[in-house]
Amino acid sequence: MRLFGIFAAATAFAMIAVAQAPAPKAAPAKAAPAAAPFNPKDLTGVYHRQSPFQTYSNVPGGANELQAFILGQAKAPQKLNQPTEEAPFTAAGQAAFDKNIPSYGRRIAAPRIGNDPQGMCDPWGVPRMLNGQVAGPHSTLEIVVTPGRTFMFSAWHHDYRIVYTDGRKLPKMDEAEPKWNGYSVGAWEGNTFVVKSLGFDARTWLDHNGYPHSEEMQLEERYHKTDANTLEMDEVIIDPMYYSKPFKSDHKIWKLVKDWDKLWDEQIYCVPSEEFKFNSLIRDGNVGKQ
Amino acid sequence: MKIKLMSALILALLLVCAPMFAHHGTSVTYQVDKTISLSGTVTEFSFSYPHPQLYFDVKDADGKVTHWGTEWGPTPLMLKNMNVGWTRDSIKPGDHVDVVCNPHKLATATACLMKELTVNGTKMKLGGGGNNKKEE
Repeated sequence: MRLFGIFAAATAFAMIAVAQAPAPKAAPAKAAPAAAPFNPKDLTGVYHRQSPFQTYSNVPGGANELQAFILGQAKAPQKLNQPTEEAPFTAAGQAAFDKNIPSYGRRIAAPRIGNDPQGMCDPWGVPRMLNGQVAGPHSTLEIVVTPGRTFMFSAWHHDYRIVYTDGRKLPKMDEAEPKWNGYSVGAWEGNTFVVKSLGFDARTWLDHNGYPHSEEMQLEERYHKTDANTLEMDEVIIDPMYYSKPFKSDHKIWKLVKDWDKLWDEQIYCVPSEEFKFNSLIRDGNVGKQ
Repeated sequence: MKIKLMSALILALLLVCAPMFAHHGTSVTYQVDKTISLSGTVTEFSFSYPHPQLYFDVKDADGKVTHWGTEWGPTPLMLKNMNVGWTRDSIKPGDHVDVVCNPHKLATATACLMKELTVNGTKMKLGGGGNNKKEE
């Protein structure tokens, strides 16, 4: 108790001394930049992928992070213990999947014996554009929101898709001409941006692992910002021709990248003249052959 | 300080992500657990995408010439960001090169994945799985 009294007296004395001391000349105060309040509907920005790469769903061996383990070049990663679920293929879906020979995942094959569309520089299309993102600063997703349209840019392959937000409705399936990126409309449901699409070209894959889709595919994406820097998204595919029930994606997570424009603008197009030379001479091993 | 921190962040990202940058099929195209050594004369240096390539002629003891090609793991801009210290103009036809690389899985292929490179006696800093250490 006595100690407390001494401490209290000393504190009071110090406070009086400080209060009576002449105030130091303060340097001109620098106004700290006011942090903008978090707006869950502000999707604009450049995002770097945090969740597993190059896979549509958490199918066995889907994520690129498992590649070294699949090839016997690394020990089993932690992700191997996470639950996985195989795609609910119909017979036609399984047959289409078997025809697709990827250069990733558990069915990995050298490109010379595979048939990944990107080997021909064919467009990734939607949703592979969203799922195929590789790790690293040259493969970001950028979202730009404008009145009536939202643009999504894939740095890898330097491609983009448009989501119409002007209130228009999706065309009927039989009215939609199949296109690489399909036809997409978006609207807010509370703080979730919901994108619905159809009219896809069946030549594209869902991801790097060769999961197929038919022209009948309908895709729904649900984007949600959990804080100013985190964007999350879930996809679900309804494609009765290839999948017996709605096929859900894994939970996608991106982090907002700041000042990224000053660091990278790699402009990685898939250029056929470069790609074919590289694949033929180097990857397919034809260098030196007549 | 901010620049140093940013550089460290970029380097960390590159190191962590390097194995995943690889073009499709890298790991199943080469025998990544083996290396071979080659010496020859540069015929072409293609500092292009998806990965830079070096083409060179190797002459054996009998004078027979075999044409080889080797690729880098990283892309051109990645190499620049790794501060490898050389550019697209640093290797020219006629230069002598010593290459250590992972051989192709096809026994007849004279293509490989670059692991070490010496040009006219100067060891070159590589990125993404090759020799990243600063050379003296």
